[in-house]
Amino acid sequence: MISTGNDIVALRSINKQRTCEYRFYSKILSASEQALYQQPQLNELPFEHYVWLLWSVKESAFKYLKRYNQQLVFSPISINTTTIDILPDQHYCGEVHFNSNKLFFNSIINNDWISTVVNNADDFENVFSDVHVINDKGYYDQSTAVRKFALEKLNTLFPGELRLEKHLAGYPILIKDDEDTKIPVSLAHDGHYISYSFNLNAVKLQVN
Amino acid sequence: MDRKTILSELKKVLAPYTENKELLNGITEETDLIKDLKINSANLVDIIIDAESAYNIEIDFDSAEKMYLVGNCIDVIMDKMNQSA
Repeated sequence: MISTGNDIVALRSINKQRTCEYRFYSKILSASEQALYQQPQLNELPFEHYVWLLWSVKESAFKYLKRYNQQLVFSPISINTTTIDILPDQHYCGEVHFNSNKLFFNSIINNDWISTVVNNADDFENVFSDVHVINDKGYYDQSTAVRKFALEKLNTLFPGELRLEKHLAGYPILIKDDEDTKIPVSLAHDGHYISYSFNLNAVKLQVN
Repeated sequence: MDRKTILSELKKVLAPYTENKELLNGITEETDLIKDLKINSANLVDIIIDAESAYNIEIDFDSAEKMYLVGNCIDVIMDKMNQSA
């Protein structure tokens, strides 16, 4: 199951106080994820960042899975992050589970945003992702900008006429010369931040 | 409280998270919060909590995941209001 899923959270938009209220975070974190925060070093991360880190992991996992299960409805509590490893430079990685699906995530946290990408293997070599800052933060500005941003990168790898369309289930489809490339692309935007991911393992499979 | 009244009240709950007020005014039970109203999914928990406060109810996990269409939101709110009556 080759897919991709990403998410971005603008940290300046979150409501810190509300995030730290039990009635809020208990709708996002399972009991085991609440316990996971007690892990040494992880609890040095502000709790509100921990909650939104796991939100971005869950949202990314949902996007990854939605491409193959179009009836799937986002239910953060049912997507469970089981391990989190802390890497240098505010990188975090680990495992996330939904029913029998096991996925892996890679996240970065800085002062402005949390960005996450999910893959079905703990190897992100062929998974491309990036984050960009935009001036306008209206929904349609973000939506247009993130498509342009992703297409610019994709065009450096696949010269030709590329465009992104939206599947009825909501995920992007990359079209090249009027044909579906089958390259999974994921787009995210929040406030002044836009991000994409795409998985070129799909291209390797097509070649083989 | 009937469905029409809840729909009217729900518009107030959704307003802080909806950029396009014209779309919000025209919502029906078939309106999808994310696809149609372009609400950021990160605000869905805010909406559930605001609805809990507005209607003095508690919305559990299983019910919360049904709340993606306006009609589903009304179903859940009515159900929870009936339970607490």
